[in-house]
Amino acid sequence: MAGTLVLIAFGLVLFYAPVEQNMGMVQKVFYFHVSAAWLGMLGFLVAAVCAVIYLMKGDLNLDSVAASSVEIGLLFTAIANFTGMIWARPIWNTWWTWDPRLTTMTIMAFTYIAYFLLRRGIEDPAKKARFGSIYLIIGFATVPLTFFSARLLRTIHPTIFGTAGTGEMAMTPAMYQTMGFSIFAFSVLFAALLIARTRLRLAENWLEEQEALEQDEEFGEVSGG
Amino acid sequence: MKNWLKTLKTLIWKDLLQEWRSKDMLTAMLAFAILSIFIFNYAMELDPRQRAELAPGVLWVVITFSGTLGLNRSFVAEQEQGSFDALVMAVPGLGSIWLAKQVSNFLMMLVLIMIVLPVYSLLYNQNLFIPGLILTLVLGAWSFSAAGTLLASMTAQTRMRDLLLPVLLFPILMPVNMAVVKAGTGIMTGAALVSYQVWLTVLLVYGIIMTTISLLVFDYVILE
Repeated sequence: MAGTLVLIAFGLVLFYAPVEQNMGMVQKVFYFHVSAAWLGMLGFLVAAVCAVIYLMKGDLNLDSVAASSVEIGLLFTAIANFTGMIWARPIWNTWWTWDPRLTTMTIMAFTYIAYFLLRRGIEDPAKKARFGSIYLIIGFATVPLTFFSARLLRTIHPTIFGTAGTGEMAMTPAMYQTMGFSIFAFSVLFAALLIARTRLRLAENWLEEQEALEQDEEFGEVSGG
Repeated sequence: MKNWLKTLKTLIWKDLLQEWRSKDMLTAMLAFAILSIFIFNYAMELDPRQRAELAPGVLWVVITFSGTLGLNRSFVAEQEQGSFDALVMAVPGLGSIWLAKQVSNFLMMLVLIMIVLPVYSLLYNQNLFIPGLILTLVLGAWSFSAAGTLLASMTAQTRMRDLLLPVLLFPILMPVNMAVVKAGTGIMTGAALVSYQVWLTVLLVYGIIMTTISLLVFDYVILE
């Protein structure tokens, strides 16, 4: 279902949404760019919430959800960055600029790459989950501050919602509809990916446990015999 | 409360005494800090006017990089001698273990700043003893060691240890880096307080948030 929705969103973007008069076809990447960036943030929000609940309840399944959520968030942050670059090259005449949103998104991505490095360095699943959760919480607490700080420096990134400044895009209703649908489709995709990835992770954990048990048994036989 | 303060004092005293006897951490930090000031001199040959603007940035990089060396060591003694469990059993309230480590790391950073500032001033012929700049660095040092102490307590228990700490620490420290450098540059160039006040607020807020979170979650770092 998620696949179909994303396909429909793709169709809407191509055929339904009008071509923006100043920027032309390249503006169409924006529908996916905003949706991907939204999923990037959603992924990290879900992970941080899971981390807090995990520390309170101690349910290891929640940790699997958190880790899967960060993975998916990271993937979509990368997509948002790349689609942004495709758009920025003709519009800003540069691939990259030290804009707060770009900087913050990238630092957020680094925070979560570090999260996986931390997890890789720990063997014990419970400790892995605890340390991971703590790191997610501090990571999530500092990201808004990073954004705020970067925002104090200047921005040239278009603001789509809220207060409009100079150089804004005026969006037609068809554009809004397309964007709304695209965000919806991506959110469903997120839920689907999250469920699939968490299941896979739980299966992996189970397999590891079984292997550890088998090894223990073998060891027991050798030492017993 | 009185007991708690006494425990805290004893714990801090223990760390400082240990450092005073070995001097491992401080010598390495200071040697590295002074070396990096030399490296910066050749990495960018600055004319005197640019120097004033760049001094806070260069100083902060020197301080944080050398500080990371020290942080890496801050839980090693307990790890190597296996005295951490004994510490946990002996001390009522696990938060005070974190706070004591945090204060001793912070004091270590202050010593570092106290030595790096005059050396930098001397080598670059530039007066850095400006109260505002010192205040900014001290606030920055608190935030730095608050985030660093919590993360070091975790990385000390991982397979990769010192490799991992900078990778975990620097993305988290981004607001502090921006704030120290921006406020510092404002002070060095003699800008009005209004123009950099907000950065000092960022430092303060960050310090408070990080200290609170650390106190809340430290139990989970050591509890098995």
